Amino acid sequence: MAALRVERLEHGGFFKYALLLPAVIWVFAFTFLPLISVIRFSFSSYVMGEGITGFVGFDNYVDVLTSGQFWQSIFVTVVYVIFAVPIELVLGFLAAWLVNLGAPGSRTFRTIIGSPLFTLEVAIGYLGVTFFTDQGGLIAVPLAALGIHVPWMSTAFGGIAGAILLDIWRWTSFIFIIVLAGLSGISSELYDAAVLDAKNHWQVMWHLAVPLAWPVTTIAVLLRTVECLKTFAIPFALTSGGPGTSTQTFSAMDYLTTIQFFDFGKGSAMGIVYLILVSVVIATFFQQMRRRLT
Amino acid sequence: MTSRYDDEKFGGVVREYMRGQISRRQFIVRGAQLGLSAAVLAKLTRPSRAAANLLDSAPEAPYESPITPERVAFLKTKPYKGTTINVMVLKATVGDGLKYHVPHWEEQTGGKVNVAEVPIETLHTQIFSDLSSGLGKYDAYMTGCWFYGDFFVPKDPYIVPLETFLADPKHSYWDPDQWIPSMRKLYSWNGKVYGVLFDGDAQALYYRKDAFSKKENQDKFKAKYNYDLPAPPKTTKEYHDIADFFTGWDWNGDGQNDWGISLHAKVNEQGFFHFLTLSAPFVVSADNKYYFFNPDTMKPLINSEGHVRALEDYVKFLANGPKEEIAWTLGQGWNLFLDGHSATEPTWGDLPTLAQDPKTSRVQGKMGAAPLPGTTEAFNPITGQWKKYELNQVGNTNGGTWHCVISRLSKKQEATYDFLAFMANKKNALFNCTTGWTGVQPGMKFEYFPPVGSGNVAEWKAANPPWNEDDAIEYLKAYYAVLAAPVQQEYLRIPGAAEYWHELDINVSAVLGAQVQPKAALDATAAAWEKITDRYGRDKQKALYQASFA
Repeated sequence: MAALRVERLEHGGFFKYALLLPAVIWVFAFTFLPLISVIRFSFSSYVMGEGITGFVGFDNYVDVLTSGQFWQSIFVTVVYVIFAVPIELVLGFLAAWLVNLGAPGSRTFRTIIGSPLFTLEVAIGYLGVTFFTDQGGLIAVPLAALGIHVPWMSTAFGGIAGAILLDIWRWTSFIFIIVLAGLSGISSELYDAAVLDAKNHWQVMWHLAVPLAWPVTTIAVLLRTVECLKTFAIPFALTSGGPGTSTQTFSAMDYLTTIQFFDFGKGSAMGIVYLILVSVVIATFFQQMRRRLT
Repeated sequence: MTSRYDDEKFGGVVREYMRGQISRRQFIVRGAQLGLSAAVLAKLTRPSRAAANLLDSAPEAPYESPITPERVAFLKTKPYKGTTINVMVLKATVGDGLKYHVPHWEEQTGGKVNVAEVPIETLHTQIFSDLSSGLGKYDAYMTGCWFYGDFFVPKDPYIVPLETFLADPKHSYWDPDQWIPSMRKLYSWNGKVYGVLFDGDAQALYYRKDAFSKKENQDKFKAKYNYDLPAPPKTTKEYHDIADFFTGWDWNGDGQNDWGISLHAKVNEQGFFHFLTLSAPFVVSADNKYYFFNPDTMKPLINSEGHVRALEDYVKFLANGPKEEIAWTLGQGWNLFLDGHSATEPTWGDLPTLAQDPKTSRVQGKMGAAPLPGTTEAFNPITGQWKKYELNQVGNTNGGTWHCVISRLSKKQEATYDFLAFMANKKNALFNCTTGWTGVQPGMKFEYFPPVGSGNVAEWKAANPPWNEDDAIEYLKAYYAVLAAPVQQEYLRIPGAAEYWHELDINVSAVLGAQVQPKAALDATAAAWEKITDRYGRDKQKALYQASFA
């Protein structure tokens, strides 16, 4: 009987589909239905208090694709990702490597470096205002005393740079934690052998740790890239997207359009266009990763 | 026909009612028993809210004055024991102002108030998400006046009118007839009052009276600009000269260079109000009241020649303040003036009020105030003509005029109104507008001094911290002049106003950030406004825009 039950589980019967059902329901309810709803909104005109007031075909898409503000927000987001993620990767990897080597103070450092990760992004953004303001800012004033005047909040460059610095401060520890887990998994025999062959620790890191920790590191980079492409709270709390819209990321623009001004039609179209763009980036990323692993 | 006996009996009932010995309901019932119709009696009881029936104070209501006898009787029953109301407020000084009164109302009525504070960036979203989703989690919302149009998008508006509550003397006494007309308009829609008195915003010019009256400064100014230092400046040209004159040198003698003007221009932080106010006399005049749209077509006027010239003029002020002020929040702008480093600031009445606190201000007793400067030429965007004027000064009600409205979805509307009316009672309203940290400005006649109002300077000197007498007189005189100016800038209250203003905000900010030229920025604003109008429906918007002038 027991053998028969196992066979039915392995080769057919409703039970295995029944086991899948919760997951299917979950995906259908929380992924497909919202996506269908967003697609429907993207072809509609929506007014708060009245709901959908009519179907407008591709008007919302045309509006989005011809909007300078939309493409600027994409540009700002891409700049943000291009600078924030690689810097976080390098700093996080180096920190993990040093801690894994057992550098002095590693245990204390491990505790401290994780703390920004548990702070709300929006709080970090507002905290950034107190760092970068010219009125007694913790970063702006010492730099100014050294003769370095950075227009942190009043220019696009300063605003994005400030937001990226805050992002690095918060998220480097994320890369650190994941890479450290990857490095810890490398067998000590391999390290011992490599130390004998290599001239210094940097060679060990480059030729042993980096390749062996690469699968884990790519996951960390992928997660950070996806998260960074959706970045909202830090730059928005810091600059509100200004001056003008020069530091407005895609998420901030979509938030303002959809949530603040209840333009669900245009906001949904924006979301769909962005989903397609990001999907291409992520697919390329996976392709590269697969090639590297094989 | 009533007998003499009935007349005497009715007289007795009236006396009892006037003394507060019987309620309005009892008055109507007993009057009806004497043969008078309930409608007539209800009409007769309406004047009960007039001053004749008011008591100065009552032990049951230590936080209210004046107070009706009905209110005193009502409070004795602790009427809202077990009732909890939820109010959403702006996370800012005005929210703190509201919170201050919560324990007092709770003590008097037995009710409870939960206050949720929401930052300005998300306030509109939170209010209308609660309403449009049908959740109705909140009984009242603190709203900026530019949200009003959105409340009236559905056929059945999201908020309720106050007539019934106002007519009921058991609620805390306040008199809407005390409003300065321009202010009353902001609390009303189609002639009905929807908002309960709280704030009364307008922008005026505040300046350092001491620096302006210093002989040495006057001489220097005359030598440089060839005319007497005007205190206050009457035209934008004079204002530019003054801002320029006080910039880049240590006129306050503290060892640091100072500035001519303080502005705040961070996007999403109400900075665009500076532009709205300063640009008004370039467009609005005795010959044209329209600033935002052509009322016949709903075509935007925002990129007219007058607006463009105004923006070009506005940008010039940037040279007379710290460069970073384009990323400053409102508080940062005020701080520069309160610290004594700016000679002028065109802003709300919070500034002179905050100036009274020596802990945060170095300028108490040095506050000059005046309506904002005007122009000698204005563009009429409807006719497309420039016209010369001797002086075209324009009043305004720009700002939030933050106050609460009651949700249609609320099941506790009466208790909610009672709490809001409590804060509108004269004693509390005066506290609010004389105390800096409440963020509340005066909009009622009893808050102003004679001949325009019935207030007195002693009330302002009794505030905590106490007002400097000259500051109070200067401030109220200028503020009233702004609110009661014969030529007023319109206030945009149609649906989507927040979105229209956001587009203006980001485009003006882009000009200040030197990313785009004024004409291009205002053209972009106009194009964005056209799309917003089309989405809401041009005809609907047109009707509401025209109604907003009613």
